[in-house]
Amino acid sequence: MSQLILFNLFNGLIVGAFYALMALGLSLILNLSGVINFAHGGFLALGAYIAYTLMPYVGFWGALLIAPFLTAFLGIIIERLLIRRLYGRDPLYSLLLTFGLAYIFEDVSRYIWGAQSVPFIVPGFLTKPLSNSLFFLTGYRVFMVVLVAIAVAALFYILNRTRLGMRIRAGTMDLETVSTLGVNVRVLRNLNFGLGIFLAGLAGVLAAGLLGLQPTIGTSLIMPSFVAIIVGGLGSLPGTLLGGLLIGVASGLTTVFFPSATEAVMYVMMGLVLLLRPRGLLGEEGRL
Amino acid sequence: MDRKAPPLKANRRNVLKAGLAVGAAQLAGPFIINARGEEPVKIGLDNPLTGTYAAVGKNELIGCQLAIEQINAKGGILGRHAELVVEDSTSGDSSTAVQKARKLIDRDKVNFLLGNVNSALALAMADVSSEKKVLHIVPGGHTDAVTGATCHWNVFRVCNTTQMEANAVAPALIKNAGKKWYFITPDYAFGHTLQSGLEKAGTRLGYTKLGADLTPLGTTDFSSYLIKAEAAKPDVIIFLTQGDDMINALKQAVQFGLDKRVHLAGAQQELEALEGLPPEARIGTWVFEWYWNQPNVPHVAEFVAAIKKKTGRVPTARTWFGFASTWSCALAANHAKSLDAIKMAKALQGFELPPEVGLMPDKAFYRAGQNQLIGSLFVGNAQAKGSAPDDLFHVAEVVHGKEAAGTLEESGCKMTWPA
Repeated sequence: MSQLILFNLFNGLIVGAFYALMALGLSLILNLSGVINFAHGGFLALGAYIAYTLMPYVGFWGALLIAPFLTAFLGIIIERLLIRRLYGRDPLYSLLLTFGLAYIFEDVSRYIWGAQSVPFIVPGFLTKPLSNSLFFLTGYRVFMVVLVAIAVAALFYILNRTRLGMRIRAGTMDLETVSTLGVNVRVLRNLNFGLGIFLAGLAGVLAAGLLGLQPTIGTSLIMPSFVAIIVGGLGSLPGTLLGGLLIGVASGLTTVFFPSATEAVMYVMMGLVLLLRPRGLLGEEGRL
Repeated sequence: MDRKAPPLKANRRNVLKAGLAVGAAQLAGPFIINARGEEPVKIGLDNPLTGTYAAVGKNELIGCQLAIEQINAKGGILGRHAELVVEDSTSGDSSTAVQKARKLIDRDKVNFLLGNVNSALALAMADVSSEKKVLHIVPGGHTDAVTGATCHWNVFRVCNTTQMEANAVAPALIKNAGKKWYFITPDYAFGHTLQSGLEKAGTRLGYTKLGADLTPLGTTDFSSYLIKAEAAKPDVIIFLTQGDDMINALKQAVQFGLDKRVHLAGAQQELEALEGLPPEARIGTWVFEWYWNQPNVPHVAEFVAAIKKKTGRVPTARTWFGFASTWSCALAANHAKSLDAIKMAKALQGFELPPEVGLMPDKAFYRAGQNQLIGSLFVGNAQAKGSAPDDLFHVAEVVHGKEAAGTLEESGCKMTWPA
């Protein structure tokens, strides 16, 4: 029993790392632009499908490298053409827009690639377990965790050490002052949106290697990201990371005792956090 | 319009509301509106075109469309043109499915109702169709109750009951995989009845149940369930999940190398799922309800060719469900020489589908007093590569539906007819 709990704890961290990757992109956009990006799951699915389409030409590794950039590029275009127009308005407008985009993405994927799951094949050596007893530790999952770690490290480096990152952080705190100081807020938000969507694209490629790739893949993965943000605390990227890991572990452990509640447990956690610490675990005071 | 900007930052309450909305929105779906002609005989299809069951729903639709073309080419229904009216029921929202069923019956005045892939939605629709006294055929919703405890005189079903599937596949599971079973079961009507069906069939054959975990519909990560199942050391992990859940579960199990340690198998398997899996995960003992590669059965090749011409792919069991359901409507009307639902339902009691519609080794017939179609079931193994790119299942044995169906009493159906 203790081994089973240990296994599921460990496994939950792996799953949680993946949730965190999606939630971080969502959180970035939310923090700077105040847009609750419903289309995040749609971008995730597009990233996966772009990789699937590129794979015959550039292989898995090429696709893994190119697809997130193409997805980010698409994100930048959509931000410029559509989302930008709604900044500064009631959040409801951008909500409705991204909501509609999510549907459009799903149906476009269905139209182009079909409603049926397509086989997304990752290199054979990655899909084998590393050891016989820790069979849930496959090469692919280790690779995924490493990649998430790199992406998170790079993200925090960009935010803390580069000029762009500092502007993003400053903008998150007080956009009007940053704007007054001569920073081009439009470009800043545009690049920030692209960065968030890059993470969605990357998460999409990684997810497709693990799950079946179908048009609904984004919708089914997006809810844990929302929960991760609320549990971790709005406005805090470390909080989002923590939130992702926590819900991964919580649903892993729930399987041992009460398997049919594995999905419900994250909502229970969300409810508890909201009751006991409404700003989230690492959230800032005052962002209620 | 120049507006004063409200606070730029989204707050927690809005995020929460948004999260709730996105959750609810997964249940909604767009409308599909079809053109309507003059005074045709209408068949209303209320089936998923979006969501988890979009792929199988669309295949059923293609089968329906082919049948409509054939029916019209052969003179229509009672000499009138046949027309299909299509609505998206969504994959899981019974209130939408019911609303669409009412719309089809009240506004479009359909003569027949078809649907649903989702067992729960099929049951909800059956309540509407029996209240409105419309002949209703369920192409592909498997839970026993449709033609069991809550059977209706007007509701017929083409696909098998979960108990029939369980009875058909259980002996092969014991023979190929062993007696110690661990279930991974989707947490809704279909999963529950399929598992209890297998337990019944397994008990007769002396199996042992080592455990069973219910997984919520739409589960993406199965790793924690697989860890738990493996720890119980079963001979076989029985996957009862369907659609995308089946793909996610099997793909992860094979990546974990579980296929090298225990058998991975189950009951109902579909070509749609096998096509979505990487080749190494196309393994295990399963039952198919219809298969396209039946070289010795007359008319199957023509049907396969006709579907291939439409879609470029071979038909799946779902395509055949849609095809046989739609043809059943035409056959019922032409046989009863009437569009009166009661007369047509009477005409279908014990009615045998002609071979060009039945398309299986056994003669498929609607069992009188239950309205359940009984034909053949195809037990065998998934295969990475077959005689053709779409040949992903090896049929080891054809099980006669009559042997898998049990008695009419066992079905639990007590049919009452309107006065």
